[in-house]
Amino acid sequence: MELWRYISRRLVQIVIIFFVILTVLFLLFRLAPGDPVERMVDPTMTREDVQRLIAQLGLDQPVWIQYVYYLKNFCTGNFGYSFHYGQPVVDIIWNRLPNTIILFTTSIILAALVGVFLGKIASWHKGTKTDAFMTIGALITHTVFLPWLALILIWVFAFKMGWFPINGMISEEIWLDPDAGMWAKLLDVIHHMVLPLTTLFLIHFGSYLLIMRSSMLETLKEDYIITGRAKGLTEKVIRNHHAAPNAALPVVTSVGLSLAFSINGGALTETVFTWPGIGRELVFSVSQNDYPLAQASFLLIAIVVLLSNLVVDILYAYLDPRIRY
Amino acid sequence: MREERSDNRSLQRFRWIARFREGWAIYRQSLLGRIGLSLLVMFALMALLSFIPPKIDPMYEPMTGVDPEISHSTGPSKKHWLGTDFMGRDLLSQLLAGARVAFMVGVSAAFMSIFLGTAIGMTAGYMGRIVDTLLMRLADMIMVMPTLLVVLILAALFGQLNIWAIVLIIALFRWPGVSRVIRAQTLSLKHRPFIEAAKVAGASHLRIIFRHIMPNVLPLSFLYMTFRVTSAIIIEAALAFLGFGDPGTVSWGMMLQWVWKTGHMFRAPYWLLPPGICISLITLSFYMLGRAMDEVLDPRLRKEGETP
Amino acid sequence: MALLEVENLSVGYHTKKGYLHAVEGVSFSLDEGRSFGFVGESGCGKTTLGMALMGLLPPNGRVTGGRIIFQGEDLLKKTKEEMRRIRWKEIAMIFQAAMNALNPVHRILDQISEAILTHNPSLDKKEANKQVERLFQLVGLPTDRMRDYPHQYSGGMKQRAIIAMALACQPKLIIADEPTTALDVIVQDQILQETESLQKEFGISIIFISHDISIVADVSHNIGIMYAGQLVEYGTREEVFDNPMHYYTKALLASYPTLTGEKKRLLPIPGESPNLIKPPLGCRFCDRCTAAGSTCQIGDPEWMEITTSHYALCGRCMER
Repeated sequence: MELWRYISRRLVQIVIIFFVILTVLFLLFRLAPGDPVERMVDPTMTREDVQRLIAQLGLDQPVWIQYVYYLKNFCTGNFGYSFHYGQPVVDIIWNRLPNTIILFTTSIILAALVGVFLGKIASWHKGTKTDAFMTIGALITHTVFLPWLALILIWVFAFKMGWFPINGMISEEIWLDPDAGMWAKLLDVIHHMVLPLTTLFLIHFGSYLLIMRSSMLETLKEDYIITGRAKGLTEKVIRNHHAAPNAALPVVTSVGLSLAFSINGGALTETVFTWPGIGRELVFSVSQNDYPLAQASFLLIAIVVLLSNLVVDILYAYLDPRIRY
Repeated sequence: MREERSDNRSLQRFRWIARFREGWAIYRQSLLGRIGLSLLVMFALMALLSFIPPKIDPMYEPMTGVDPEISHSTGPSKKHWLGTDFMGRDLLSQLLAGARVAFMVGVSAAFMSIFLGTAIGMTAGYMGRIVDTLLMRLADMIMVMPTLLVVLILAALFGQLNIWAIVLIIALFRWPGVSRVIRAQTLSLKHRPFIEAAKVAGASHLRIIFRHIMPNVLPLSFLYMTFRVTSAIIIEAALAFLGFGDPGTVSWGMMLQWVWKTGHMFRAPYWLLPPGICISLITLSFYMLGRAMDEVLDPRLRKEGETP
Repeated sequence: MALLEVENLSVGYHTKKGYLHAVEGVSFSLDEGRSFGFVGESGCGKTTLGMALMGLLPPNGRVTGGRIIFQGEDLLKKTKEEMRRIRWKEIAMIFQAAMNALNPVHRILDQISEAILTHNPSLDKKEANKQVERLFQLVGLPTDRMRDYPHQYSGGMKQRAIIAMALACQPKLIIADEPTTALDVIVQDQILQETESLQKEFGISIIFISHDISIVADVSHNIGIMYAGQLVEYGTREEVFDNPMHYYTKALLASYPTLTGEKKRLLPIPGESPNLIKPPLGCRFCDRCTAAGSTCQIGDPEWMEITTSHYALCGRCMER
């Protein structure tokens, strides 16, 4: 089917892009000032461990063989040992991945749904106070500086009001308590997620709202809208059934285009809220000069971005029959 | 047959002026454009004013100024209109200096990315085929990457980056957007008669690109860039916020980093609020400017004749 | 009683440059089962006329005068809700296939059944789908393509689908706006023939709008020639074709090739149609007219009766 061919073509593209990223990173690793070996291997480990790791990563070999080792290690998931945690890097980032995915996808999906819904309403009330209110609101929330917004939210709702925890993903009392059930733990995570989710949501939904609004206004000028009116359909049906599905397509495209921006935001949010995700791990590891962890976090984020792009493309293909058939 | 060459050139200049006047008239009508411009002027004033406080008294030096009587964070007072930070440095001077840095970062990054993007876009559009495909694939790859995180990993490899390195890297990630637009323009110009005429007259490719295509394509790229400036400012601010900015530069992001990391965020609103508001407002103003520019550039977006 | 009687209809648009007089004082009548064709250059107001009849003018459009009497009732006096119920059920429209008249994200089947269900809410989806199947057979579309999307159809198929959709609620009147433009001539011919047979079978009145006089002459019982927002000549097709009286009609016919008859040189009409924001005084065709006289620009031209059914808006047309 057309769709499968489209997906497989995109997957090949992603693999190629990722390969290029891997290679560029490897070259930079070699070209950067300082000793590459010291960068990858914690000198405070025991001599045998150090030697073993150097052999594993091929750091004592000539450059091109090292490159092969590099690729092989990537495929087998051997990213070295974290200086800071003293554990294999792969365990750490694997542990962090779900946390980022939960926060990231929930916020994007929520922002897109609300943005589309409100944008549709704003376009319908174009020129009225409702429209002005929504447009200005979207404009302001979209241009606010994300880390600052996060700090403000923490200050007001966590510190002053005490409604939400200041940071983290879980409360240890609940998770360490042997009597606590699944629900309690789940609610605890949600409780912690509210503020970071709100931050990401606020930053993103504005742009989706504005795009949906202008997209609706454009779509309502299309010929098939006149056909709809000629058919005697109510304005409500025309708006929701005919215009909105077409108008929403550019929003999907926009989600895809702004994924890099969204990931930046995700990393910043995780850092401010100390949400244990890969974004935060990247920031943290760079500040700690924990290069193995930093490199692996970066690569994993790159994969997440590329796959998210693919998901958005597939979603678009699914929604627009002109691509599917 | 008139001598058309000199007439042509003055005709072109005339056209520019006429188009500029028309554009300005349309721009003036847009509310967003007016607000955006006023905000921007305000920030420009701030940037210019930033030179004054240190001249009044060395204690107003944003980075190194020390008030002999204060060595901790205090609220607004007569001496320090916005208060002081944790080291007793004047917050208002820091805020003004931050405006200067923001403009510098924004404008330099924008210029660099315009320059790169235009050069690459023109080349891709004009050369076509393999060169075009390769360059556009490269652009695609770069557009996918989250700039902030790339700078982070580069910081991990190359150590602390200074402000110009940051600006350069940001520009390296912004050119794909410009190049796409310029490439589209170049493609549409490529087959116009005056290009064909130049080719027949024996002009080299380079000459065609720079003498004939570039003048037609450059104004667009400049206008297009006005609101791309914001992402450079935000990225620098985010980097400084995370602690990876240039330690010798006082930017708004840096101010936020200090208020956050020194644990003052809950007790010093006079310190927490101004830098964040400034970053947000300058972003907003450029966005508004960009929207007004869109209306000038794309006639379809202008308000149509509604029923009176 | 005629199915449709239009009396002195005037329509205009508010634009940035001023008020555009798109249609001025048009009157005609249409009986049941008959078809009326409107011919004119682009900008002559024929599409505006069609839209005004359906009540589908854009927000800056206004009907400034006249009456539209359909089945005895003035449509201009109807409320929005009443008009909505009349649309498609009583009066339907056929758009150009080249236009984006079909919603790209919905299946053809759903778009047609939607029309049926809107005006027959008591039907269920299955029943509606069966009706769509019958419509497909009627217009000659393969029923196994019902579930396709518009972009999968060729131009001719799209046109048939649009026709099928117009027939869905068995309207009394169909307004066909350039139904065959942008189709190749073979398909054009097929569509016109099928339209004619459908009309005969169901007794539907049709208003044809086109810039192509040969098409209109093929399928209409009566023809109206429009120029610069005004109706300048009307009559049966034989009368207008064989005995054109208005100088514009004569020029129009002279600019079209014929297969039969003596071979003459084709003569384009020099000049441009007038600006309708500031329409010229007197006869609007004057500055392009071969027989213009000194009186033509002073007063408005009068209707001259040539036969009881054939009229032309030109004071000089009867002179020799």
